[in-house]
Amino acid sequence: MKSLYENFFKNKESSDPVLQVLGQVPIFENLTPKELKDLARLTHERSYKANEPVFKKLAPGEGMYVILKGTVEIKDPDSNTTFATLGSGDFFGELALLDEEPRSAMAVATEASELVGFFRTDLLTLMKRGPELGNKILLNLSRVLGERLRRTNLELTKSN
Amino acid sequence: MDSVQKLYRLFLLLVIGGLAWNILPFLASVIVMLIFAFLFTTIFLQTVDTLERRIHSRGGSVLLILGSVITLGLWFFGSFIANLGSQIKVFTTKLQQEDFAISLEDLSNKSREYLPDFMGNMIPESAKIIATAKDSLGNVFQNILSLLGSAGSFFFVAVMVLIFTIILLIEYHDFKRTLVRFIPNKYLEIGLRTIYNIEQQISKYLRGQILAAGSVAILSIIGLFILNQTGANMTLIVFIGIIAGLANLIPMVGPFVGMIPAILIALMNNLGNDAAMAHQLFGVVPSPFFIMDIVFMFIIVQQIDNNFITPILVGESVGLHPMAVMIVLLIGGTMMGPLGMLFAIPAAGVLKVIISEMIFISKNSHLL
Repeated sequence: MKSLYENFFKNKESSDPVLQVLGQVPIFENLTPKELKDLARLTHERSYKANEPVFKKLAPGEGMYVILKGTVEIKDPDSNTTFATLGSGDFFGELALLDEEPRSAMAVATEASELVGFFRTDLLTLMKRGPELGNKILLNLSRVLGERLRRTNLELTKSN
Repeated sequence: MDSVQKLYRLFLLLVIGGLAWNILPFLASVIVMLIFAFLFTTIFLQTVDTLERRIHSRGGSVLLILGSVITLGLWFFGSFIANLGSQIKVFTTKLQQEDFAISLEDLSNKSREYLPDFMGNMIPESAKIIATAKDSLGNVFQNILSLLGSAGSFFFVAVMVLIFTIILLIEYHDFKRTLVRFIPNKYLEIGLRTIYNIEQQISKYLRGQILAAGSVAILSIIGLFILNQTGANMTLIVFIGIIAGLANLIPMVGPFVGMIPAILIALMNNLGNDAAMAHQLFGVVPSPFFIMDIVFMFIIVQQIDNNFITPILVGESVGLHPMAVMIVLLIGGTMMGPLGMLFAIPAAGVLKVIISEMIFISKNSHLL
């Protein structure tokens, strides 16, 4: 009876780890399950070994990554300063969705990790195939960046 | 990597290379089919994506678009062959008539007058021309039938290309994701950028070419219509225009190919007509059967296309120097004939993208 329920009635997507993780990312919030599924079809699942760079500093940025499993460190290789250690559900590199500017820091997988990549070319394809969904993502992205700018302003004001 | 492993890899590479070399002749036709399917996919991809957005069914949009295109194509060729058939029938009847023989005699004599002796002697007697025309035109339908019989393999190739195109159009985005899976992490971002740039390059070029072909077709139809107003007595002008547009897809050679049906129709329709025989372009240049008018009209259409339409629609899409375009066309033509000329420029565009990305990789290897 259980298998019958699982085969016919249970929403299979809800158990897909990629969909679950993408649904938690603020850039993809407010997307319907169908939109999330369309988005997931454009993303790329990648596996990284421990200490394997995801991208290097000054490399031309092409897109963002969401951590499915594992840990990624964002650091400056010159000064060896670690800016952040990110875990499952976290995302990084989202600015590259908007321009081709060189990466400002390096991202390294500190353990065997699985990431989901969403790149500018995917966003451009999405904007052509489904402008509504593309606009939703762009609006969310602007919201995230705006919030980050506001927080930076606040910190600058505090430090002054 | 130790030396045994290196040796093993080299051996494996040689075995795979040897196998590929032996299998390639058998795979060549499949590869050509896949290239065609890929080009058709690139042409229709955006339209399919747009329709999918409206009807929410990928398969449905692919079938709807390809179905419409195939129906239109079949209708076009069907009615063109039917019209041409009846035109040839009329012409064959004309050939039997006496006044037609006189008119042909006139044309033969006039041509001898205008041409130097050694060239004039090359023109056959009118009786010979009629006999040859009767022989060849009488069998034209039989020839068409035998052509259709030998077109069996073409039909098979066309069906295979259609099937490949349908599959590629439906699964395109999933295929792309699968392809990306094979790219090592190190080259992921640059690989994605290269794929995207190649897609853009081909898509821009093909769309530009198709729009340019469409405009050449429309301009030719308008030109032929204007010629008809001056008494050129042209029929099948829509078909001639479309053929000229399609021929225009092959750069440099195409425009001349496009003129041929128009000249043939003008000859068929005007033989036996004294006014058409004595016609002069601008009242100065002898233009029997409006042949020079047709050539002049096509030259004008080409000039408009080359100087205004193509630079705007195709223009910088591939970004190749005109000299490079000519060299690439010559290479394509030598390798694969007209088909090679058709694919030469987009192929060169793709190579250009790959080379520029490889240069970028070699210059910035420390960033990857």
